[in-house]
Amino acid sequence: MITTREKKGILLDTTRCIGCGACSLACKERNRLPRTSDDVLSDTLSEKTFSVVNRQGPRFARKMCMHCNVPSCVSACPVGAFQKTATGPVVYDETKCIGCRYCMLACPFNIPKYEWSKTLPRVRKCDMCADRLAQGLATACAAACPTGATKFGTRAELLAEAKARIAAEPKRYFPHIYGEQEVGGTSVLVISDASPEEIGFRTDLVSEPPAMLTWRVLNKIPNVVTIGGLVLGGIYWVTKRREEVARAEGREHDGESGPHDAEPRSREEEHEK
Amino acid sequence: MIRLSALPRLTFWRIVLLFLLAAGLYSTFVRFYHGLGAATNLSDQFPWGLWVGFDILCGVALAAGGFTVSSIVYIFHLERFRPIVRPAILTAFLGYMLVIGALMFDLGRPYRVWHPLVMWNPHSVMFEVGWCVTLYTTVLALEFSPIVFERFRMKRVLKVLHFVMPPLVLLGVLLSTLHQSSLGSFYLIVPSKLYPLWYTPFLPVFFFLTALTLGCAMTIVESFLSSRAFKKEIEMSLLTDIGKVTLVLLGVNLVARYQDLSSRGVLHLAFERTYEGRLFLAEMLVGLVVPAVLLAFPAVRKSQKGLFSAAILVVMGILMNRLNVSITGMERSSGASYLPSLTEVSVTLMIVGVGFALFTLAARYLPVFQHATEDPGPEAAWEDAEPARGTPPRVPAAVAGAAAFLLVSAIGLTYDGVMRRPAAPARPVATKAPAPPNSVALSTFRMPPDVPFRESPDSPAPVMFRHGVHVDSWSPDCVSCHRDGFSMVRTGSARTAAAAGAMHKKCGQCHDGTSAFSIESDCEKCHAPSLAK
Repeated sequence: MITTREKKGILLDTTRCIGCGACSLACKERNRLPRTSDDVLSDTLSEKTFSVVNRQGPRFARKMCMHCNVPSCVSACPVGAFQKTATGPVVYDETKCIGCRYCMLACPFNIPKYEWSKTLPRVRKCDMCADRLAQGLATACAAACPTGATKFGTRAELLAEAKARIAAEPKRYFPHIYGEQEVGGTSVLVISDASPEEIGFRTDLVSEPPAMLTWRVLNKIPNVVTIGGLVLGGIYWVTKRREEVARAEGREHDGESGPHDAEPRSREEEHEK
Repeated sequence: MIRLSALPRLTFWRIVLLFLLAAGLYSTFVRFYHGLGAATNLSDQFPWGLWVGFDILCGVALAAGGFTVSSIVYIFHLERFRPIVRPAILTAFLGYMLVIGALMFDLGRPYRVWHPLVMWNPHSVMFEVGWCVTLYTTVLALEFSPIVFERFRMKRVLKVLHFVMPPLVLLGVLLSTLHQSSLGSFYLIVPSKLYPLWYTPFLPVFFFLTALTLGCAMTIVESFLSSRAFKKEIEMSLLTDIGKVTLVLLGVNLVARYQDLSSRGVLHLAFERTYEGRLFLAEMLVGLVVPAVLLAFPAVRKSQKGLFSAAILVVMGILMNRLNVSITGMERSSGASYLPSLTEVSVTLMIVGVGFALFTLAARYLPVFQHATEDPGPEAAWEDAEPARGTPPRVPAAVAGAAAFLLVSAIGLTYDGVMRRPAAPARPVATKAPAPPNSVALSTFRMPPDVPFRESPDSPAPVMFRHGVHVDSWSPDCVSCHRDGFSMVRTGSARTAAAAGAMHKKCGQCHDGTSAFSIESDCEKCHAPSLAK
């Protein structure tokens, strides 16, 4: 399903971010979203804001959809409204969505947002400018970034570059590429001079895609159905047979088994008539 | 004129029902007219609340009596349980209909509820649950249909149904096993969100086990309630046996839960003075420990009051479990504090009320308790069936006392837990903190390229916007211009007169003669003929 060679990604380097907010504004412009805050740096993700850059102590860090390699939202959605495209973006088809919000519950980064105030709400989130990618363009945020703090490229190249940057300046960087392993890897990679917690990223995530946790149970269903069906069918056959045998052997047992057994037996005979 | 005597008599419960219906209908209007945001206390942090936690998770679990009892009778051929099959199937059928009804409130776009049947995603637990619930509700309708056909004496259909009933029940049991457990699998995908007391890889197993247990307990509760409502005797010996099964299931539950908690090394969390720890202990006491203690005594199992109380406790405890998984356990990681809104509560109460009303109507007009009423039997037949005649067994005072003590502690624990609810962290206040030192980051600043604007028909010359002239490279401020009007994504396209007018207006915001030279005066400062090709 996913061809890694073609996969695009975004590399965020907080040591290069000057907090100008161009990424957020470019995102709003590209997605035709209204203004939500006077101070770009204190904006929060919402159904009207798909990307923010926030102050994290002395640094600036972006928050946006991580575009997981094996996304929980794609796995959770009962109608397949979310899809992981071959080039990396996780995109949403609002014509399929039934509005169950399981994607929001499932997302380890709490990214999908809901149009709570609408009577027919949609789920909204960053789609990594999938249409721009199809035209061979970079994402709007990466195109707008004046410092290279947000860099667009193929994930493999960006991963190599992140490693190279850390190796070249080991004193400048915290030695961890966030998104390389987390939840099975994400298309968005983050490097910084601080630990992931300090720039607002969760570190208690599993390294295996959470989607595998549900899939491992779901793929047992054929077995449960086959074995369960056979066992139940067997029990049905055995108990029915035993009842027939007991009836054929005569009625001397009836006295022993008490009034309750006698009662339904007569009812069973009624059914057969 | 309406003759008052023609209207149904207003009893206490009918007034309650009318009140619930009125409040619920108003809430229904609020929900569908103003949307989920206005009607509920749900938020982006807390997307699933009471309607999923109670109406769906608890609703499906409460309907588990249908598949437990029907499998006992049709698959295990324990024929003497036949009298309680019909009420159990009726409860289950109504339960599932109400769950589907409740789903309409919770879904953002309820008119697309059929989408999972057509747009497949086999990787989704909810897709699987959707299919199972749809199929099982159909199966329940068929299992229930003989009652309707009997009422209208349609013998031929009944004969066919009698023939297909065993495979139908078998299918129903399989479907129930799948989706009762899958409701637990919903939460397998959030290992970093659900509190460790409830998050376990065995969630589906525990959900299935508790559903079985709840199925038995519900059968007991519902037999008692209908015996009171319809003035029929209780099949006490049957219920005593179900009580025994419940006891075994409670034991299995307890051992499994203990094993799971201790093997994951989180048992100590249960005894910590936290919101979650307290509510977990309360759930365990109410749903597992107290009823297991009670049911362990034969005297309790044989006494009406004892058995009924134990069953009620099991029901309450397992409902607490569902709410703990879906609400209590999800709160801390979400950073939000969720309490259902009045609208949410009143919709839920309306659905419960409708459930009771439909059950009563069905029981009154359809032969649901037919078997019980057909053979009149001696008064208090259940007592005759007991080997020990005479006075009904009394629950030892010590047992009742111990149970009461444990219950009171459970209530205390719940209260203490709720008091320890983690407060929602205050939203970070937008303070204008001094700009952090970013000289390192600034060294990577590259001046954005110049932007050419092509000339419009009556323009003196094209314009080249130079970032370098406008931006201070030691303190670049992209937002002040790009927030209002100046596009970042589509740049450099003034070709028509209208676009040129718009550009003059935008540039004129600053080029007004005071902040910078005016657009009215020196055209050639911007329109440079040298740029024309």
